[in-house]
Amino acid sequence: MSIFTPTNQIRLTNVAVVRMKRAGKRFEIACYKNKVVGWRSGVEKDLDEVLQTHSVFVNVSKGQVAKKEDLISAFGTDDQTEICKQILTKGEVQVSDKERHTQLEQMFRDIATIVADKCVNPETKRPYTVILIERAMKDIHYSVKPNKSTKQQALEVIKQLKEKIKIERAHMRLRFLLPLNEGKKLKEKLKPLMKVVESEDYSQQLEIVCLIDPGCFREIDELIKKETKGRGSLEVLSLKDVEEGDEKFE
Amino acid sequence: MVLNGVDKMSQLQKNTANIRNICVLAHVDHGKTTLADCLISSNGIISSRLAGKLRYMDSREDEQVRGITMKSSAISLHYAEGNEEYLINLIDSPGHVDFSSEVSTAVRICDGCIIVVDAVEGVCPQTQAVLRQAWLENIRPVLVINKIDRLIVELKFTPQEAYSHLKNILEQINALTGTLFTSKVLEERAERETESQVKTHSEQGDQVYDWSTGLEDADDSQLYFSPEQGNVVFTSAIDGWGFGIEHFARIYSQKIGIRKEVLLKTLWGDYYINMKAKKIMKVDQAKGKKPLFVQLILENIWSLYDAVLKKDKEKIDKIVTSLGLRIGAREARHSDPKVQINAICSQWLPISHAVLAMVCQKLPSPLDMTSERVEKLLCTGSQTFESLPLETQALKAAFMKCGSEDTAPVIIFVSKMFAVDAKALPQNKPRPLTQEEMAQRRERARQRHAEKLAGAQGQAPQGSTQDGGALLASPQGDEPRGDEPDVASVSPQPVPQEESSQEAFIAFARVFSGIARRGQKIFVLGPKYSPVEFLQRVPLGFSAPREDLPPVPHMACCTLESLYLLMGRELEDLEEVPPGNVLGIGGLQDFILKSATLCSLPSCPPFIPLNFEATPIVRVAIEPKHPSEMPQLVKGMKLLNQADPCVQVLIQETGEHVLVTAGEVHLQRCLDDLRERFAKIHISVSEPIIPFRETITKPPKVDMVNEEIGRQQKVAVIHQTKEEQSKIPEGIHVDSDGLITITTPNKLATLSVRAIPLPEEVTQILEENSDLIRSMELLTSSLNEGRNTQALHQKTQEKIWEFKGKLEQHLTGRKWRNTVDQIWSFGPRKCGPNILASRSEDFQNSVWSGPAGRESKEAGRFRDFGNSIVSGFQLATLSGPMCEEPLMGVCFVLEKWELSKCAEQGSSDKQNQEECDPTGEGQEEGKTCPSGSENQEQQDSHSEETSAKGESPVTDCYGPFSGQLIATMKEACRYALQVKPQRLMAAMYTCDIMATSDVLGRVYAVLSKREGRVLQEEMKEGTDMFIIKAVLPVAESFGFADEIRKRTSGLASPQLVFSHWEVIPSDPFWVPTTEEEYLHFGEKADSENQARKYMNAVRKRKGLYVEEKIVEHAEKQRTLSKNK
Repeated sequence: MSIFTPTNQIRLTNVAVVRMKRAGKRFEIACYKNKVVGWRSGVEKDLDEVLQTHSVFVNVSKGQVAKKEDLISAFGTDDQTEICKQILTKGEVQVSDKERHTQLEQMFRDIATIVADKCVNPETKRPYTVILIERAMKDIHYSVKPNKSTKQQALEVIKQLKEKIKIERAHMRLRFLLPLNEGKKLKEKLKPLMKVVESEDYSQQLEIVCLIDPGCFREIDELIKKETKGRGSLEVLSLKDVEEGDEKFE
Repeated sequence: MVLNGVDKMSQLQKNTANIRNICVLAHVDHGKTTLADCLISSNGIISSRLAGKLRYMDSREDEQVRGITMKSSAISLHYAEGNEEYLINLIDSPGHVDFSSEVSTAVRICDGCIIVVDAVEGVCPQTQAVLRQAWLENIRPVLVINKIDRLIVELKFTPQEAYSHLKNILEQINALTGTLFTSKVLEERAERETESQVKTHSEQGDQVYDWSTGLEDADDSQLYFSPEQGNVVFTSAIDGWGFGIEHFARIYSQKIGIRKEVLLKTLWGDYYINMKAKKIMKVDQAKGKKPLFVQLILENIWSLYDAVLKKDKEKIDKIVTSLGLRIGAREARHSDPKVQINAICSQWLPISHAVLAMVCQKLPSPLDMTSERVEKLLCTGSQTFESLPLETQALKAAFMKCGSEDTAPVIIFVSKMFAVDAKALPQNKPRPLTQEEMAQRRERARQRHAEKLAGAQGQAPQGSTQDGGALLASPQGDEPRGDEPDVASVSPQPVPQEESSQEAFIAFARVFSGIARRGQKIFVLGPKYSPVEFLQRVPLGFSAPREDLPPVPHMACCTLESLYLLMGRELEDLEEVPPGNVLGIGGLQDFILKSATLCSLPSCPPFIPLNFEATPIVRVAIEPKHPSEMPQLVKGMKLLNQADPCVQVLIQETGEHVLVTAGEVHLQRCLDDLRERFAKIHISVSEPIIPFRETITKPPKVDMVNEEIGRQQKVAVIHQTKEEQSKIPEGIHVDSDGLITITTPNKLATLSVRAIPLPEEVTQILEENSDLIRSMELLTSSLNEGRNTQALHQKTQEKIWEFKGKLEQHLTGRKWRNTVDQIWSFGPRKCGPNILASRSEDFQNSVWSGPAGRESKEAGRFRDFGNSIVSGFQLATLSGPMCEEPLMGVCFVLEKWELSKCAEQGSSDKQNQEECDPTGEGQEEGKTCPSGSENQEQQDSHSEETSAKGESPVTDCYGPFSGQLIATMKEACRYALQVKPQRLMAAMYTCDIMATSDVLGRVYAVLSKREGRVLQEEMKEGTDMFIIKAVLPVAESFGFADEIRKRTSGLASPQLVFSHWEVIPSDPFWVPTTEEEYLHFGEKADSENQARKYMNAVRKRKGLYVEEKIVEHAEKQRTLSKNK
């Protein structure tokens, strides 16, 4: 008994199509799923691991191979492999599930890392761990937006997390040096912006060391510059006011 | 049911000579708790039928479930022998390695111990450990060889075989004791030698070396276990029998008519009896005569077992009648032979009698405490007793006397704190109601009823309804508990913390001298307290009330709020506790963390710290399942820390809460405790975060197959050439020797930076002096402000010069010429182990120059921008290019930096305007910058630099200039690193392992599997223990302790301490390039690269891009659902 096996027919499964329009025509190549992004980022170097077949198509799903003349008119060559490489690097890709998934996961982690880096637990002045932030982000059902920078998203996340757990931006420690006569007036204005005033010294100048929320830095800076006409100064003592070193419970 | 009430016990407590404080020690599963059960049942606290099954001392649920003891707990027993009545404070201890700290706490407050050994398993690792612990604490041991029944039933030994087996075990134990003894003698000798050497140096006289080891002179006859001395008992706790030689000697001296003394000496050993001559002779092995022990003792027991197991009714009856026992009908008819054996044996040879008699005879009472032990307890570390203050030395007499007069100083040692459910405290427990109480209740109920009736009739005035409400409320609270404050009750007040937490802490303690009374004021001396300090601060003969004393570190004053008699899981209230007793003290949780010494005199030194066999080494990070439950977790961990002698709890800089435990089982228990008792929340446990450092090295001379690089002509196909270039974007110029030249986006400034690896010594110096660097930084910044701070401390100044000198000494050679003078800053955080040096000509901001350089006006041109450069450097060192971990041991040299005219103009303009007051300009983070999207990255990075200093009027489309400079500097540093061979640095533990010679091989196997390196191994003199010193990467240490214990069956115990950072030699970016390397490693070569493994793990954790294929083999993900 013999089974009919079509030898001239190659069936492609698991295809990710990469398209490119050139010279008014559409060209497609058949690639493996989850591989194109890897090729573009340079992780995958073996072309055969990316391309299912080296031929260039007009329509992959119908199996229509591009005509030689079209290829020459569009790419100036009929070397299929070269054209495939060009299409791979410049064509439009379908991002497949795993690729998207890893990208989102990576962004999620990245956001959590940024949040953990910027924030502290206001009670202990110690940072939260990334894992904890990740869990909290899942709790508030935060969904990552792939076309927004992770940094912006991190700031959004902080706002949302504040409702859920005790979290705060790590304070910035600043030192102001203000001329005495304007100092008092200015201090009143600065008051709502400062979180904690650590020391005040009225010797020759008004010197204030305080903690502020990093978000108000620009405001404070402008205020000081405007009010003192450049005679007051402001210095950043530390970017993040966090506890250093390990603490043993005793 | 309970034979002895509290009154009886407190009566017994007063007779110090008849108190025995003992603990039961053994390897895990050798029957400590079962033995304790048997002893407890003799007091009628539990039924003798349940003894061995109930495990009364295992009060925790997980102890019962797992079948191992996890904590030491005490119980007081009564034992009468003849006219003497004894009080035995028995402490059961855990046998598992993980809980050896609990053993330490038990051993400290005892005078003697029972070592239990399984007759089948013999001497096990923990047996050795506990023997050593008992030895170190100077307490006297007695031996119980348990589970003799297993020799009969399981191994089916003949009595003769059993005898030789037992003899073997005894020899093993004695050998161990001998080793401990010799090592001690040798140590003493070594001490003597060092002393004598000191003397010879001073005398310069000729000296004859004393070759004798001192072993011959030392008396060790009292040391060994032997049945004829009466310190060995053979038992089967599960069947409830046990005997010492003496018991049989007494029986047979009557029966055979040989003197008891003779029998005592000969019952154990190779002697046989000649029945006809009634003489005892030495055994001649050839004749096949049975030793006395076999013939007279073992064979009888064997025949009994034989009869019962074969259910030979007649024979059993015969034996029973001949022994004069009465067996209950129920037991006799029972089909399980175990029950019958138990019934017969526990009457014939009651185990409690055998063991307790031995304890009372052989173990010392609190009065007999040796002076050696007292001195050892009082002298911490290398101190000698003579060096203690006189007042303290005087206390020794009190210890020895153990007096109960009112004048005797009260000395109590608290060896651990344990948590009990507040409900279990005697004052909170429901008590049977007295007649009076019942009458009161009835009265109240009637009243309430009446009021209710009145209310229902609607005639009640408002006042009375209120009254009724109040009355209603109070009985509701009280009734179910049956405990009312107004009713005559012993407890003065409920425990204060009861409301906040349901856990009350009780101190596990022993009175060494004086009488502890409830309500007494007493000093609490922490482990670090020094009586010398006190005597210095407080004038002699002080008479002020204790509250008015000046504060002395590690000392507090407190009241003994409540005293308890420890009865296993029960606690009984006591009014006072005479000396020599074990007790529980309530209300000390705010004063004592884990252990402390309580004393009525401040001249008492704290006892030496407990000697823990196992130090905590298993580290895990703990987090609440719900982030909002953080406070509960922290509170719970604090409680846990107090309740467990051996646990360590800490918060790391990363914000992780880390729990350090002695082993996996211990960890499990701690987690259970946290979940169910202390924190009552869900927690998740994970591997702690492992820190790394990044650094660069000199380019390697040889490649991975040890071929010299450069000589090879046949370089195989190189993938990297393409890669190398792709790393560095356009617009950055790279020299052949790694000089990076980069221009800011607005083309105003150009920086040239080079990265050079620092020599190892320099890195080390920088690490050590980070505090000094920090103070230097503070100083210069305050001087920079133009403020006159207090003059530089002379000492600090000296230190700074010394530090500089050291740096100069190590930074020699052409490459480093003048570098020390050119140091501009350290990083990260301005005090780290990285250096920024500037080689531009007009550089004046050296860290050494202090205020002078900074004040000069000429520096003004660059100064404001200088701050930006330093900030850029700080950021670059804080997170390296490999996995955003801090850098270490890198020197960045700023070769030159140029500002184009425009920028200079701007800065000088600004100076004119603002009189060189540096004002800050930062960007509010996250605000989208007006600039185009192509510099998003730059914007991002310098918006982070809120430390931006130096006002920049030249704001263009790229944002403020200072920000650009910071970003550019940071980028320059990163690229400068990337063109050099980068390496990861791993944190390393030093690892001390004690192991016996037979498991040495396995220790090595585990070490090498985990990338450990052995530095040295040494044999401990006088023992067969080896001490191995090794280093192990922290990254590989998770589960290390457990693995090594498992592989060596507990014979090796490691200790891990963080020691240093070490460069991992392999290049994380390495790929094979030469033909040889291809041959050797294959094309991918990612299997062996440790550094890359670490790097990728960190990057993945942080959500950074990892060069990893999502799918390794494209073909394999094909779905073959349709059959085509």
